[in-house]
Amino acid sequence: MNFTEHVKIRREKFGTVIFETLSEKIFITNETGARILELIGQGRDLPQMVDELQKVYLGDQKIEKDIADFVDCLKENNFISRK
Amino acid sequence: MNIEARTERSINSAIEDNGMESAEELKTTIAGMRFEDYKAPLFVAWQINSECNLGCLHCCEEAGHSMPDEMNKEEVFNFLQQIVDLNIPYVAFSGGEPLLHPHFFKMCEFLRRNNVSLKVETNGEFIDELTAEKLAKLKFRSVQISLDGATAKTHEKLRLKGDWEKAVAACHYLIKNGINTEIVFVPTKFNIHETGALIDFAYSLGAYGVYTGKIMRIGRAAKNWGILSPSDAEYENFFAVLKEKIDLYKGKMKVYYYPYDVVEELKYRLEFPSASVLVLPNGKVKLIGPLPFICGDLKKQSLAEVWEVYKKSWRNPEVIEFAKKVIVDPKLLAKSNDWKQI
Repeated sequence: MNFTEHVKIRREKFGTVIFETLSEKIFITNETGARILELIGQGRDLPQMVDELQKVYLGDQKIEKDIADFVDCLKENNFISRK
Repeated sequence: MNIEARTERSINSAIEDNGMESAEELKTTIAGMRFEDYKAPLFVAWQINSECNLGCLHCCEEAGHSMPDEMNKEEVFNFLQQIVDLNIPYVAFSGGEPLLHPHFFKMCEFLRRNNVSLKVETNGEFIDELTAEKLAKLKFRSVQISLDGATAKTHEKLRLKGDWEKAVAACHYLIKNGINTEIVFVPTKFNIHETGALIDFAYSLGAYGVYTGKIMRIGRAAKNWGILSPSDAEYENFFAVLKEKIDLYKGKMKVYYYPYDVVEELKYRLEFPSASVLVLPNGKVKLIGPLPFICGDLKKQSLAEVWEVYKKSWRNPEVIEFAKKVIVDPKLLAKSNDWKQI
């Protein structure tokens, strides 16, 4: 999983901004979303991200679905490659 | 676990492809994106020079000759470093004609080396095969070429001293080298009838997209308004053609358009200023193209300082009052280049 070519990421006080400069679309996320972005930046795949975040969100039953939905949202907006 | 995820869209892209979103939808889309919250701009529009080989009747910047006080090499690179240090993701170079700037390539190299997304807006007349190859190595976000007609006769009637063949050749070279090439078309009385043909032509060239919208009543365009401005009926037909072409090229080529005129945009911006700055060749920073107000000077202030002034300036009563006058009397837009420090 990788960011597409024109994606830029910047942390702000109110969250993290992802800017796809080719389509000029902007996406804003919170700290949890920012952590997922960090993991994507490190080239982690979905199961690895789930493993990592389960350490923080112990006992959260729907963690896998939440992460998958978030990743789908990034894909739909062309922020990460669909491969 | 709560993953908050909101998609915000810039005012330009909110209207891409699907088009025809209402102003209310647009407001809802962008609401919550408070520009005051950003630590730095997200976008810098930089007119890097004023020199231009053309004398377009609709030029917003009234470009032609260099300004006597344009930023020197040291000032330019100092500013570029600030763009990088503030983590500004996206910059657009325009002019004048940006390829006439003596340090154009070095400036592009600097930003791209630092992973800043870069768009260049040019008339294309200085892009030959070798230049296109050089540009391709820099991996731009896009290069925008102005084509104001599907034929040389129409294009050159509006773009005085312009050469349609050269602009088209530039498109060929850029596309051949894999550069996202966007065609910019400004509708006027002279060329609005060629809108559909121009979009078809852009597709035949292999362009990434076509970008258009109502002519902005700024600079030389404001001075030539009487001869340039299309009628309501012409605009009605223009938007119908756009709709048809958007459908025709869906999934094949982007057709973007901005359906509001400069007055409508100004009304919107008074409420929702953008997280971007407009930098002039002499380092002055304009609040927004249609207004004459200057909110900073990059020769004397850092970009971070100017950004703080920019944010406050949008709440300055003098700015609000003048903007409201412009909304009532658009003829005042002709003063957009009579700069006024605030």
